Amino acid sequence: MHGFGKLLGLFFVGLLNVFFFWIAFFLFGNAYYALGTLFIVLVMLIDFFIFNPRGYPYRYVAPALVLLTVLVIYPIYFTIKTAFTNYGTGHYMSKEEAIERLLYDPVYTYQVENDSVEYKVFVAYDGFTASHDDFLILFKIDGELFVGEKPSPVKRKGKDVLLSEAQLTLVKGSAYQLVPQSNELAQIRMILLGEKTYKAFYSPREEFLKVNEPTFKSRIGQIHLHRSDYVHPSGNKYALRMDRTGEWSFVRIERLYRLDLLQTAEDGKPKTKVVVVNNRTNRPLIEKEGSFYDVNENGEEVYLIGYIDFVGWKNFSRVLKDPRIAGPFLKIFAWTFVWAVLSVIVSLAVGLPFALVLNDPKLKGRNIYRTLLIVPWAIPVFISALVWRNGLLNESYGVINKFLLPALGLPALRWMNDPFWARVGVILVNVWLTYPYMMTISLGALQGIPYELYEAAMIDGAGKFKRFWNITFPLLMTVIAPLLVSSFAFSFNNFTIIYLITGGGPPIPGSTTPTGYTDILISYVYKLAFQAGTGQDFGLAAAISILIFFLVGGISYFNFRFSGVFEEVGK
Amino acid sequence: MRKFLVLSMILITFLAFAQPKLVIWCSEKQVDILQRLGEEFKARYGVMVEVQYVNFPDIKPKFLTAAPEGQGADIIVGAHDWVGELVANGLLEPIPSFAERNQFFDSGLSAFSYGGRLYGLPYALEAIALIYNKDYVSKPPKTVEEMIKIARQIDVEFGRGVRGLVFPVTTFYYAVPFIFGYGGYVFKDTPTGLNVKDIGLANEGAIKGARLIKRFVDEKIVDPADNYQIMDSMFKEGKAAMIINGPWAIKDYRDAGIDYGVALIPDMEPGLVAKPFVGVQGFMVNSKSPNKLLALEFLTNFIAKRDTMYRLYLADPRLPARKDVLELVKDNPDVVAFTLSAGNGIPMPNVPQMGFVWGAMDDALNLIVNGKATPEEAMKNAVERIKAQIQ
Repeated sequence: MHGFGKLLGLFFVGLLNVFFFWIAFFLFGNAYYALGTLFIVLVMLIDFFIFNPRGYPYRYVAPALVLLTVLVIYPIYFTIKTAFTNYGTGHYMSKEEAIERLLYDPVYTYQVENDSVEYKVFVAYDGFTASHDDFLILFKIDGELFVGEKPSPVKRKGKDVLLSEAQLTLVKGSAYQLVPQSNELAQIRMILLGEKTYKAFYSPREEFLKVNEPTFKSRIGQIHLHRSDYVHPSGNKYALRMDRTGEWSFVRIERLYRLDLLQTAEDGKPKTKVVVVNNRTNRPLIEKEGSFYDVNENGEEVYLIGYIDFVGWKNFSRVLKDPRIAGPFLKIFAWTFVWAVLSVIVSLAVGLPFALVLNDPKLKGRNIYRTLLIVPWAIPVFISALVWRNGLLNESYGVINKFLLPALGLPALRWMNDPFWARVGVILVNVWLTYPYMMTISLGALQGIPYELYEAAMIDGAGKFKRFWNITFPLLMTVIAPLLVSSFAFSFNNFTIIYLITGGGPPIPGSTTPTGYTDILISYVYKLAFQAGTGQDFGLAAAISILIFFLVGGISYFNFRFSGVFEEVGK
Repeated sequence: MRKFLVLSMILITFLAFAQPKLVIWCSEKQVDILQRLGEEFKARYGVMVEVQYVNFPDIKPKFLTAAPEGQGADIIVGAHDWVGELVANGLLEPIPSFAERNQFFDSGLSAFSYGGRLYGLPYALEAIALIYNKDYVSKPPKTVEEMIKIARQIDVEFGRGVRGLVFPVTTFYYAVPFIFGYGGYVFKDTPTGLNVKDIGLANEGAIKGARLIKRFVDEKIVDPADNYQIMDSMFKEGKAAMIINGPWAIKDYRDAGIDYGVALIPDMEPGLVAKPFVGVQGFMVNSKSPNKLLALEFLTNFIAKRDTMYRLYLADPRLPARKDVLELVKDNPDVVAFTLSAGNGIPMPNVPQMGFVWGAMDDALNLIVNGKATPEEAMKNAVERIKAQIQ
């Protein structure tokens, strides 16, 4: 029985190895080298833990280690990496990929001659059906006939084929036999090559072959000719393009860009640089701020393509130096702090009394009350936040403004448009959502306070209030203070509430960035990075996220230090 | 994390990979018709067309995440003002000129052009207009003064039950007709494209428009708390007499049994017409798609045809982008009214810099209607903010 279990274990380890290696090779195949390496390292570590006696204690943490790496450490690494780049709108691909695009993408070609060349497609048949994977194309270029076979890849990246090529062979004197022998494409019905026969399949000029047009386009054109050049013995290239009428035809093309080496002098030393050169103007592309620019006939710079580039500390210094960001940063930081502190204190102030009452053994039906009081916690935040925004706080139709305040003879409040009341509103909602949590942790902590302490205090003649302040509260705090600190950190970054209730509004007049009175740091970052302007700026967002991490981390650290919580809990 | 998700997506598609398949992302209205068209395409070309429903506002962000990784749809159906950002990221494939190009309205083609190239096949134009409930309004107002008068009458007559005029006054898109009507503009249109350095949102006309909006609120014709949802549901329930909305909403109103009419947004003053934003919907091709050629074929030799465009119109009646299709639908008064409104309008800029404008202007309108800033201050400040961000 024991041996069987071991065998089963080995089988699963083997399976895991195969799976991880498969993922890794798949990733390599698709040019995700970093992630692929990570998987190989992980599987080797796991094997080490399992098969090496010294790794024995670790074998039970191995699954956690895998998840930790893939779900926590890798994203952190990715965030840090992103913070030092210009990743965002206009800079979405790697430099390597941007250059590949410029060099190989069919868009970056130009037509050398205006006329297209005549062509006719022939396919081999197996039995009665055409096999679209085996075809020849007959071209008529300058009065002579050439045969081109199926193009084969010459440049690959991972699984993607960047460029395929096929050589054109002059029919005269080659192994290809045309049937009938003719110089007119329309006449030729068959091509013989040894034992093989290729039959006429498609030609844009022959009516009865046009029925095959869709098949030619979808099975041959799209799959095999999409990124392919046919190379004439003279070196001229012909490729399939759509012309002005929507017809697919072969035209002589030339690539717009090529790679070249440029000799430059830097600090007096000669240096060789790889540059992308425009074939038509023979001028190298201008490369600045992670983008390629070409110069057009009028001498204007034209943006071509951007790539992800290392920018050093630029994103961080932007936060501190750019007045558009740094200006409101402090204001928002202050409010974020107030918001987080008030959220914790007020919800504790609401939750704690409930806990005290529920803890009283004389109270009947405690479980019912407890269940009811926990309800706000149980409803998904997205739902209750929207109910608050549209149902309760709406300025014209909300319950508070429409019924509650008029009933009390008070004027309606401008929950969404008055800075003060908007702030009160978001705190109100947050307190509503978090007091059950405070109540629950307080209830738990109250259970741990020995009853004898109260008896002793009562004998000493201490009143209810005095007993609370001198026994309950201090003992309670030693237990829940660490939880309050984490609750603070959570509120500090509670993007959802702000975003759902006010969206950060009302706007602060005179600010040059989209800033509102209720914006906290994280919602401000979101607006800056994703809503402010020309799209998305992941680099900046990552940089500010790292700053926020250090802010929250620093505040939490000092909180723990000065509240002496660690020592108390340590005992 | 993102890469990990993409990785699992790759694994799935890798397993399903067999032969070319066109994937289209579109919003709810086009799903059925595109599915039917896709089946016809399949019958001819033997290529599967998979139509996936994506919420309209999610299409662009989803495409921005998926496309750079070589994933995502081959074709997306979206708005022309996405073009700038998507082209800057190198994600759109230019569409070669095709046979019946001259049958398309120039406004549609130019809206989808960027840097001299066409990046989308337009299929529908859209612009907002005044939609009124014939139960309350027998003759639509011709001028803003008339509109205010009618709205006030209805407000008084029905008390709180029915509102005369409802529209999201603090949303720039809906306030634009009044701002442009007096001569405001976002970016100056020059022969070489839009000049993003010349912003016309704080000129005399724009401020005049902003004052009019403030007047709507001050005279309690429009409630500053109104938003799109409130407007939409009030009109559906017959509780709003006049609203400003686009052709996309019409079907719902008809289904709700409202006896509605569509009219031009009233003139500022006689002869000074309101100018809404004109938006264009169209098909765009993913430049990293492995099926680019087929996708282009599908668009230029199939979707762009007159009959297909007409069927698209029938499935989702918006202002057609082909001239000969408009001829076919002349007997639909809604389409004619919206087309006239679009005729007065200004195409929404498709440059990425437009991204700065929305937030800044929504905030400015907010400050204006809440009396936190005068129209002059708010508009000037908004322009400063846009300029500072464009740099």
